[in-house]
Amino acid sequence: MQKLRSKQNPPQEKHNNQAVFALLLVAVIVVISVIFNFISGGKFLDGTNVVIIISHIVWPTFVAWGFCFLFACGYTDLSVGAILVLGSFATAIFGSLLGYPGVILGGLIVGVLLTFLNFNIFAFTKIPSWIAGISLAMIYEAVAVFFKVNKATETLIYTVMDKRLRILGELPWSIIILAAGFVISYIIYNKTTVGLNIRALGGNKAVAKALGINITKTLLMVGLICGLFIGLAAIIQQSIAGRTLVKTGLTSINMVFQPLAIVLLAQVLQKRLNIIIAVPLCSIIIFAIFNLMTIMGVPSGTLQEAFLGAFLIGFGIIGQRGYKGVVK
Amino acid sequence: MNQENMLEIRGLNKYFGPTHANKNLNFSVKKGEIKGLIGENGSGKSTLISQIAGLYPSDSGEILLDGKPYTPRSPIDANELGISIVMQELGVIGSLPAGVNVFLGRTRQFTKNGVVSLKALNKAAADVFEKWELPKVPLNKLTDGMMIETRKIIELARALSVEPRLLLLDEITQSLSMNNRNKLYELINKLKSMGCSVIVITHDVEELIRITDTITVLRDGEVVGDLVSANTTPDEIKHMMVGREISGEYYRADMVPDYGDDIVLSVSDLTVPGEIEDVTFDVHEREILGFCGLSDSGIHTVGKAVYGLLKPSRGRVRLNTRDLTVKSASQALQNSMAYVPKDRDNEALMIHASIHDNFVLPSLTELQAGVGYLAPGKLRKLAQEMTDKLSVKCTDIYQAMDALSGGNKQKVNLGRWLAKDIKLLILDCPTRGVDVGVKAYIYSLMKEAKKNGVATILISDELTEVLGMSDRLIVMKDGRIADVIGRDEDFTEQSVIRVMI
Repeated sequence: MQKLRSKQNPPQEKHNNQAVFALLLVAVIVVISVIFNFISGGKFLDGTNVVIIISHIVWPTFVAWGFCFLFACGYTDLSVGAILVLGSFATAIFGSLLGYPGVILGGLIVGVLLTFLNFNIFAFTKIPSWIAGISLAMIYEAVAVFFKVNKATETLIYTVMDKRLRILGELPWSIIILAAGFVISYIIYNKTTVGLNIRALGGNKAVAKALGINITKTLLMVGLICGLFIGLAAIIQQSIAGRTLVKTGLTSINMVFQPLAIVLLAQVLQKRLNIIIAVPLCSIIIFAIFNLMTIMGVPSGTLQEAFLGAFLIGFGIIGQRGYKGVVK
Repeated sequence: MNQENMLEIRGLNKYFGPTHANKNLNFSVKKGEIKGLIGENGSGKSTLISQIAGLYPSDSGEILLDGKPYTPRSPIDANELGISIVMQELGVIGSLPAGVNVFLGRTRQFTKNGVVSLKALNKAAADVFEKWELPKVPLNKLTDGMMIETRKIIELARALSVEPRLLLLDEITQSLSMNNRNKLYELINKLKSMGCSVIVITHDVEELIRITDTITVLRDGEVVGDLVSANTTPDEIKHMMVGREISGEYYRADMVPDYGDDIVLSVSDLTVPGEIEDVTFDVHEREILGFCGLSDSGIHTVGKAVYGLLKPSRGRVRLNTRDLTVKSASQALQNSMAYVPKDRDNEALMIHASIHDNFVLPSLTELQAGVGYLAPGKLRKLAQEMTDKLSVKCTDIYQAMDALSGGNKQKVNLGRWLAKDIKLLILDCPTRGVDVGVKAYIYSLMKEAKKNGVATILISDELTEVLGMSDRLIVMKDGRIADVIGRDEDFTEQSVIRVMI
């Protein structure tokens, strides 16, 4: 039998491309750090400052990995910030009752349970996830206020965690957890059936269904996986900061602004670098920029975030250059 | 049950809301039989094979496989029993590599301790391509951006990877170029010689007669006839499909080029690296200029590049009626050019929007008032008029496009351009996935457009179509023009194939 003809011999997959690009990105980060150090008069690469940057990228990186799974299946959940707040509360409360097991179980249980609950609502009610997510965020914020955990002033309600329980926010533990999170997220996303099914669901739900993928089960698995990462983020966030403010009026969404920026940046790089690998590198880039702006005296909050927004747009434009997305 | 029958269906019914899609269907396939299934768009063919493939449950009736009740709950169930399908409109997951797409939904066989071995998966996928002599596809590469033909081949590999005893092919041939289509026929014969059965759906009646043993004709969800392919004719099948004689001409009856002297569009030295090189041609007023070639010929790239969707590295596209060089699609659209792409669901239509929205979108500039206001009544009138004129089968103009059959989608896709004052129409496989009735109607629209002075570039994988409709035919090979044949010259399939190969 004659062979079916293809347009051309397929290009050999360049397995090394991703590694080369990752190394290139690391090199760029090093060069930028040196430039930042020069601009800041040597303060940027000061040992203490480097430790601050590394410590502060951990929890947003975990949230960003959670977002990778969320966005990969084609859903949006705006209640993640509120879950993070409740997870942090649970970490402090269970920690004070049970010690370290409580710290870990508190954050994980709340993170996994609430995110799993969200995905049950998305899967069974068929309400668009961004609408359901906003409603759930308001409910979770109200729950946090209702509990008024352990301290309250006229304007702020917050919880604090005993300093002795905060070791997971310190080096080297936070980095060890980050490394473990990287391995777990990489394997789940790229090398498990559930990871491939999640990506298939986001790629084309009809095709995924036609190939026998159980849509509801896959969605619920996203809830569990995403919840695991949100829960871990809550533990580390509480361990680093020591306290979490209760936020209402949907201000909990602010909590995930930086993780969102990280994922958006990683999505731009996705064509050349696996998104799970891109996330921690993008975390470093974003926090380096914030850190430099703080050192340089740029007022935190609005101005810094406006700068970050502009940076994201600029990065996106550069990242899309030369991308041929036309379906022939 | 007849002992020879591998699959037997008795009294099968399927409802979608108030629509009775399959009505008391009786159908059977013997071991080693190539069975054709034909009917108009919306006659229930795809619904029937979707039930066989486990995509839809049946509402009543029974399906027997090897004499035993067969009630697949999912395509995986069907796969496990040796039944697989290549669907007409489905596809592959763009965000996943080609190799993963071959085994998607069945990746557990490559899983050890919860981790999928992509190396083993890709090796198995490569073995499938090797075993069935399919064209090589970069298995680690994302399928996003691959040609329709390549994506269809990946889907075919997926279906073959289950070692099917019964393979269901829904409109696959119309996504393939002539050379790959011929090789697919050989693959079907190979399956037959192995004792496997194949159900083929295609709107190409001649092709169906040529490659099948028997043919079942459906109309309005019912079986209206079972025929032996060797003993039937295209006319008999067409008559059974539509329930009446198809009157009038199908293709053009004349055999001389008939177009004006004025050149509407001049293309010179058009080059898109790796796709086409030094393509030069003119299109005249009232001319239908055909393009044909094998899968690597670059004919589809010509359409995109002329319309400004692909940036050429060299050459230019000159629209003489407006005295301008076309550099972008928006510029082409503003200057009375229109393009109907091959992949209508992904590149042409707003598939989740309504018929109304799809009809009015290209004409918004003409429909808007002085301050940019769009009067709803005006939009509604245009959409309703075009729906009536083109006989689009729908509940109303607000029905979503994705609920329409392939033929009716194509009527909207093509018709919305004919509502405008177009001077040059680029059609890339305009009859892909449409039945003979709609096909005849599309040809009549093309003839009407020609009569109205419209110049047409007709790109097609179907030789009979370009031969039937073109004034001149450009045959391409390896990205270059190999020959230009006039309608009054040696305008036959044999002469064109000689140039193509």
